[in-house]
Amino acid sequence: MESNICIRTKNLNLFYDAFHALKDVNLEVPQKEITAFIGPSGCGKTTLLKCFNRMNDLIKDCRKTGIIEINGTNINSDIDVNALRRDVGMVFQKPNVFPMSVQDNITYGPMTHGIKKKSILDNIVFDSLQRAGLWNEVKDRLNKSALSLSGGQQQRLCIARALAVSPLILLMDEPTSALDPISTGKIEDLCEELKMEYTIVIVTHNMSQAVRISDNTAFFLLGEMLEFGKSDDVFANPKNKKCENYITGRFG
Amino acid sequence: MIKTQKTQRLKESIFKSIFAMTAVFTIIAVIAIIIFLLFNSIPAFQKIGFFNFIFGKEWNSSSTDTYDAPVSGMYGILTMIVGSLFATSGAILVGGTLGFFTAVYIVEFCPKRLKQILSNSINLLAGIPSVVYGFFGMRVLLPLLGNFSANGDGSGILSVSIILGIMIMPTVTALSKASIEAVDRTFYEGSIALGASRERSIFKVIVPASKNGILASIILGVGRAIGETMAVVMIAGNNPVFLTGLFSSFRTATANIVMEMSYGGELQTGALIATGVILTFFILVINICFNIVRRPNNRNRSRTKLSDIIFKFNINNDKTNKNVNAEINKHQFLIRSKHFDVVAVSLKYLSLLSAIIGILALLTTIIFIFVNGLPYITSDLLFGEFTYGGNPSIASSIISTLMLVVITSIFAFPIGIMAAIFLAEYSRKDSKLVKLIRLMSETLSGIPSIVYGLFGMLFFTQLMKLGTSILAGGLTLTLMIIPTTIRGTEEALLMVNESLREASYALGAGKLRTIRKVVLPGALPGILASVILGISRIISESAPVLFTMGASIKPMPKNFSSSGASLAVALYALGREWMHINESYATACILIILVLILNTLSQLIAKVLGKRLKGT
Repeated sequence: MESNICIRTKNLNLFYDAFHALKDVNLEVPQKEITAFIGPSGCGKTTLLKCFNRMNDLIKDCRKTGIIEINGTNINSDIDVNALRRDVGMVFQKPNVFPMSVQDNITYGPMTHGIKKKSILDNIVFDSLQRAGLWNEVKDRLNKSALSLSGGQQQRLCIARALAVSPLILLMDEPTSALDPISTGKIEDLCEELKMEYTIVIVTHNMSQAVRISDNTAFFLLGEMLEFGKSDDVFANPKNKKCENYITGRFG
Repeated sequence: MIKTQKTQRLKESIFKSIFAMTAVFTIIAVIAIIIFLLFNSIPAFQKIGFFNFIFGKEWNSSSTDTYDAPVSGMYGILTMIVGSLFATSGAILVGGTLGFFTAVYIVEFCPKRLKQILSNSINLLAGIPSVVYGFFGMRVLLPLLGNFSANGDGSGILSVSIILGIMIMPTVTALSKASIEAVDRTFYEGSIALGASRERSIFKVIVPASKNGILASIILGVGRAIGETMAVVMIAGNNPVFLTGLFSSFRTATANIVMEMSYGGELQTGALIATGVILTFFILVINICFNIVRRPNNRNRSRTKLSDIIFKFNINNDKTNKNVNAEINKHQFLIRSKHFDVVAVSLKYLSLLSAIIGILALLTTIIFIFVNGLPYITSDLLFGEFTYGGNPSIASSIISTLMLVVITSIFAFPIGIMAAIFLAEYSRKDSKLVKLIRLMSETLSGIPSIVYGLFGMLFFTQLMKLGTSILAGGLTLTLMIIPTTIRGTEEALLMVNESLREASYALGAGKLRTIRKVVLPGALPGILASVILGISRIISESAPVLFTMGASIKPMPKNFSSSGASLAVALYALGREWMHINESYATACILIILVLILNTLSQLIAKVLGKRLKGT
């Protein structure tokens, strides 16, 4: 086994009731790189993303077969799901900061996992906000409601909140689709920095975003992964015809 | 063309003024009630002395006391203020806790199939007349608790807390449930994605996010408990003394009014009005709290600036940060996290327990009354001749109730609906007039029903010389029903999509036509539902009609100026004597059935018609 593979799926199939949402997905996500999932709506990219932290456990009638390995452990088995989600952080499409203060948003995760000491929590607040590039903007309003922040700031707070529990992997589900171009730019820059320490998987509808920030790109269509490779290769000369059509804007 | 526009404009402005007038009516009504009661209480306050009245520990009224002669009785209501406070606290302790946890259970933990049934039945039970709960308490709970009390009498704070608690529980549950359901589900996902357990996510994120709504529901429960009269009178014992234990007889402020109103002398009546004023004052304070709580909180809590401290700290300790994070990083999901959230998990089981207790208590009440009452709903009872001791027929009460519904509906619903149209369609959301009207309408809905009874008796029966009559009772209830009708109608109007209005305007339709052809048809199910709910309330209320309509179930009313007991009052009258227990149970049954039918109808109309109009 190559040591630089962080997430590996083998013959992964997923059904929502009778609907076959993922078909035999075999994927290897390298660690400490950014991997982008692209494809038209309903192709299964978000579904696959949510397999990595088992968020689709919340959906009724969702069945999975196959293997999903994270650092060599099959997570599609009887594991501690809460511990998994601590180690695999997620950022959602729309910023979903809790209706609490900025600080409480950050400390919620660590406190959930048993960290009580105030000095450690204070450090985590500073450190996570710093990493998310938000510290200078919010340092004077840590006690104010997180809902008073702008949309872009809220999304970076969500990233900071995910970082506060020290994950290995960050899953991002179209994190910039609800944001303006400037906020989007900030988050993209942030991703570039974060990949030094974290493995990032990002779902995006924005081709140019995928080109700009991702190291690897996977193209999905109707639940199948049709193409996977270095982003430069995928976008420069896609092997799959449908992928080429999608990238060049002929459908999707 | 210009001419038609002119008549059109005239018509528009005429209707606008009519709507505005109905809305302004609520302001006038509130001010009138408050001024009238204040004015009538001043002589008593003067004679007794304000502080003697409030802090006096003894109440020993005399019906011969007048404003001119020296006072022979004692008029201090401190024992009753304390009594009301204890009764309310007890009710909240029981009903608030049960209601809140039941709401959490229904929204978050209960199986899907059960969910709909539970929430529907909770909504239905919220409408059961308080006099039914009082009757149940008197007949079932008092003898039961009597076994544990030294003197064999179960009445006192314990029974009042339990009965009032069961009574307010559905209200607290329904409102808390709504506010928990209103919380954005993405918060839940966000918490789960951080690795928090289901229980922790619910009690640490969802519940805190809905805390304003939950608090508001509790405050509403407080308002209902403090204003409750008939149920309390039936089980408190009503001695004007301080509480000494769980089973010591005590009197609340509301009970004081109802106990002595019918035979009050001049000063005595004044003192009772003064009690009503103090009670209303309490309610107004609670209402203000309710409004403050309901406002979305953007408080800027100014705790010590943590940021500065950390910032300085971190400048020097940048390396330690890395270490701290590295330490947390040692976690691996392979190893099950040892951290088990005891608090959250026990709260979950508390929710389950509360739901079981609360629903069992409600069901017990209803089933017990049905089992004991249904066999006695006979044609003699419903339609027979009234003979005292032999056949206490409630035929006259049924007719009185029907007439009461008719007369109240004629006044209350048109005024309420038109006022709501003004508020929702004609006024800017932030105008001062609207704010005032809304405040007044909320105040009106907060005034306890016994104070309405007091006002109705003094104003309609005595001052307006309507006598103890169905008309006086109807007018009193009109004042009570208007605020809820306004709120229900307004909600229904606001549900109509704004784009539909715009579409109508864009076609050149005027405001009036838009309201008539587009808005009202869309809002009709909601308006109908609130009207039916209003009717159900007219049937349920007892305190406001006791002294305005009379409590005699014997004579058949001839017209609207006849007196007559409504069904709820009939239950109170029948239930307090031991002669007609079976007929009392039967009357309670009829009341419950009527209210359940009306409330179900209201829910169905809102749902079915609403769906049809949406075309789904």
